[in-house]
Amino acid sequence: MKRMLNWFRLRRLEGDLDRELQYHIDRRVTDLIHSGLPEAEARRLVSLELGGATQVQEEVRDIWLTRWLRDFVYDLRFSARSFLRSPSFTATAVLSLGLGIGATTALYSLIDQVVLRALPINHPERLVLIDWIGFQNAETLGTDNLMSYPICRELQQQKEFFDGVFCRAATTINLSTGGEPRLTAAELVSGTYFSVLGVSPALGRLLTIDDDQIPGSSPVVVLSYDFWKNQFGSAQDIVGRKVLVNQYPMTVVGVAAPAFHGIDVGEVPSLWIPAVMSAQAIPGFNTMLDRRTRWVQILGRLKQNVSLAQAQTGLQPWFKAMLDEDTRRTNISRASAEQRRRFLASTLALTPAPQGHSVLRHDLLRPLCVLFVATAVLLALACLNVAGLFLARGSARQREISTRLALGASRGRIGRQLLADSVLLAIAGGLLGLVMAPIAVRTLIAFLPQNTAATNLQANVDTRLLLFAFLVSLATGFLAGSAPALQAGRKSLDSSLRERGGTPSSGLALRRAIVTTQLAFTLILVVAAGLFIRTLSGLLAKGPGFETSSLISFGIKPALNGYSPAEASQLIRRISEGIRNSPSTQSSAIALVQLLLGGAWNNSLTIQGRERFVTDREVQMNAVTPGFFETLRTRIVAGRDFNEHDSLDVARVNQSLPVSTNGQRVVIVNEAFVKRYFGGRNPLGARVAMGAAPDAKPDTEIIGVVENISYRSVREQWEQAYFPIGTELSGSNFYVRFRGTPESAFRSIRAILRNADPTLPITYFRTLDEQIDRSLNTERMLAALSSSFGTVALLLSLVGLYGVMSFVVTQRTREIGIRLALGATRLSTVRLVLRDALLMIAAGTAIALPCVWALGRLVASQLYDVKATDPVTILAATFVLSSTALGAAFIPARRASIVNPTDALRFE
Amino acid sequence: MSSSRFPIPQGTLDMLILQILSLEPAHGYGIAQRLEQISKSVVQVNQGSLYPALHRLEQKGWLKADWKQSETGREAKFYSLTRSGHKQLRIEKDSWARLTGAVQLIFDEGVAQ
Repeated sequence: MKRMLNWFRLRRLEGDLDRELQYHIDRRVTDLIHSGLPEAEARRLVSLELGGATQVQEEVRDIWLTRWLRDFVYDLRFSARSFLRSPSFTATAVLSLGLGIGATTALYSLIDQVVLRALPINHPERLVLIDWIGFQNAETLGTDNLMSYPICRELQQQKEFFDGVFCRAATTINLSTGGEPRLTAAELVSGTYFSVLGVSPALGRLLTIDDDQIPGSSPVVVLSYDFWKNQFGSAQDIVGRKVLVNQYPMTVVGVAAPAFHGIDVGEVPSLWIPAVMSAQAIPGFNTMLDRRTRWVQILGRLKQNVSLAQAQTGLQPWFKAMLDEDTRRTNISRASAEQRRRFLASTLALTPAPQGHSVLRHDLLRPLCVLFVATAVLLALACLNVAGLFLARGSARQREISTRLALGASRGRIGRQLLADSVLLAIAGGLLGLVMAPIAVRTLIAFLPQNTAATNLQANVDTRLLLFAFLVSLATGFLAGSAPALQAGRKSLDSSLRERGGTPSSGLALRRAIVTTQLAFTLILVVAAGLFIRTLSGLLAKGPGFETSSLISFGIKPALNGYSPAEASQLIRRISEGIRNSPSTQSSAIALVQLLLGGAWNNSLTIQGRERFVTDREVQMNAVTPGFFETLRTRIVAGRDFNEHDSLDVARVNQSLPVSTNGQRVVIVNEAFVKRYFGGRNPLGARVAMGAAPDAKPDTEIIGVVENISYRSVREQWEQAYFPIGTELSGSNFYVRFRGTPESAFRSIRAILRNADPTLPITYFRTLDEQIDRSLNTERMLAALSSSFGTVALLLSLVGLYGVMSFVVTQRTREIGIRLALGATRLSTVRLVLRDALLMIAAGTAIALPCVWALGRLVASQLYDVKATDPVTILAATFVLSSTALGAAFIPARRASIVNPTDALRFE
Repeated sequence: MSSSRFPIPQGTLDMLILQILSLEPAHGYGIAQRLEQISKSVVQVNQGSLYPALHRLEQKGWLKADWKQSETGREAKFYSLTRSGHKQLRIEKDSWARLTGAVQLIFDEGVAQ
């Protein structure tokens, strides 16, 4: 340790030693002169006694720093100097390592945060997600792994398997803490939530089982620590304060522990509300205790000595009994025999959930894995590149190394020098990676879908991985660096010293192998880039099926601001009229379900055409005002649009279909629906009924057919049915086709909304172009990153190929000269060199193609309208790679062809 | 220099330095002079190995050094024994005594036979 310190005060130590020795010498000389010796003789004698001041200094230095450490410092200095002498080599090597390390580390950090990291609670490994596998025959409110609230209460009784069970549902509320109300992310939770997770309060108390008894009985909330800090400035008297949740007063009872951010990394709630207050938190939702409404995720904590498999098996009898009972006590009896069979065939599945539950994780797992594999390939490529560079440099240094060996340097000593080279390079690359990784993570996060809830993702870098990548680059540098040393060792000194610059050298085979591997890796990345670009351009070209330019959409939720349904519909009508009369509006319409935001309303339909049948899968539904298709510029291919008479009471659209004033119920379906259920025949006049119940009455007439448009995402094309929207709506999605610039349209719409209610919660407000962009975020991320990876890879391997080919040409200059002198044509020399390059390209392709085939499965789910083994893409990628590679090889080949035979022979 | 004097045994130089410094702090040249006196009579000390030895002992924490004015008025680096240096000297003296004692015993035995 002390020795390490010495390193930093080396200069002072040296100075001291000089003074000390000088003192000794001066005194001794003086003494000797006093004893009668002449000065010159005295000095000689002193020097003799000491055995030379330099020698002493050397010995003392060895004591300060151990020998190897001191040598290593010298080696590092030497390496640094030699690196600085060849800046292009250094820059290439450091840049490739930095890129590889930075990208891999960034990707891994994100995967760790989204996928791998466990919740900051005690024993997260015992947390499991309880999910219903099969058909629930229930209304759905939410996205993944949903069940009904009563099932959660029943699971809480299964005490032999669980220490506790809780349920939760993420939602957005309109929260007013004194000032203007703001849309805020909240989590509706059962009373067991905090106790099962083992979270403690930072202030006040958390929710308990007593807060979760009778619907509407517990108007209390718990704040997240961050929200308390940012919104309330960490006010100590927060407990007992009132806040307005959707204009409904609730009392703050406590603040959760600082480290706890909920169980979803993608949607961090600002506050927690008891599930019994769901009617207040989600206006219009009053089916909390309904067994046929699924809206919560249920998680449990396994007992210490119960395994996941045991619990899963042990729960089935209870689950089967519950299914059985459900068929009697709920409306399942109205379902078709087929649905009943599917319902009863359901099972309960337990999956480990130490990371909590996150839709984001579900959505991003595959894309992130794909990108991680791509960056790993990139890192490998970067390492290969460095190895190639080192080898090239090694051959250039072979004479230097041989000379040093001849002068008595040990092989170990030379190996240490090469180690210093790689350490220095790895440090530089690692530092660059360290700088780049956080930027890369931030860029990646920017690609993720955003909503009102903040994500808990940070641009932190995982130090373990950084270390790993650093070690990989270190090892690469060292392995590559030691190759020339080993080669130098194998040959006799004598012969290598006698060698001139023109004789073939070993190491070339290794370099060829490296370049071949690089080409293979590059082809994989280029193919991937091609596939993702084709996917993105395919989706963009397909579009949502309607014209997105000059189209704005926004959503309002009057119910979150305390409006009654009647007041809300008045407000919506007022806004609707305002927009229609605005000079910047061409046309406008309202839809119940917003497009391209992931929301959906699905149900089966019973169709009465020539015969009666139930749709074999759920149909996507929407309710729209007249003029909706005109506003979207979606063509009505047969029949007619809705008119004012069609639209009536739609408040309970889920239960029964709207009836028009003349007593007729109507529906418009899309082309995909006609194709699937009418085999392309004319569907007009056929009748449908909502649901699949045997007693459903098909009394709704199909009056029109429209083109297919996208619903949840651009990717899908599904059967759709549209019903006329009524005026009684709690929330609405407006679609406005505007004139002029989007800015002026935004301004005029905002003015209309402010005029109607300045505090009206607006859930989203953007152009459809932007909406499409957002919905294609993942595809865009994959296309952008894979093509930049592909480009970098291509550049790296072209540099590698060029390097090897130039080397070969230099080595063979003499041979080529002789060939030319003996009558070979210029063209044949070009061919000679290119044949070499072609061989590597062909070998690289041969290696890459099976890999592409194997990796295809990983990316298949991310592609659209193109197969992972798409021959066109693969051919195009191979063509791009071969042509650029041949181009890179052609430069040295041309140089070979213009060799002057006399010069080449004289060169020897 | 007379070659009749035998070279100092390996490792004893450190002990001698500690012994010299246990009496009073001294600078390198002072120690060299003391060693010279000893070496004139009995053993031969290579002056060149003195300074590495001093620095080694300092590194081990047995000696500490200060720049002070010497008898000639010039600044010199004075070495003195630290607490652990005193302890080390006792240990070395002890083991030296045991070693010589043991060797003596072996010689005596040889005489007795």
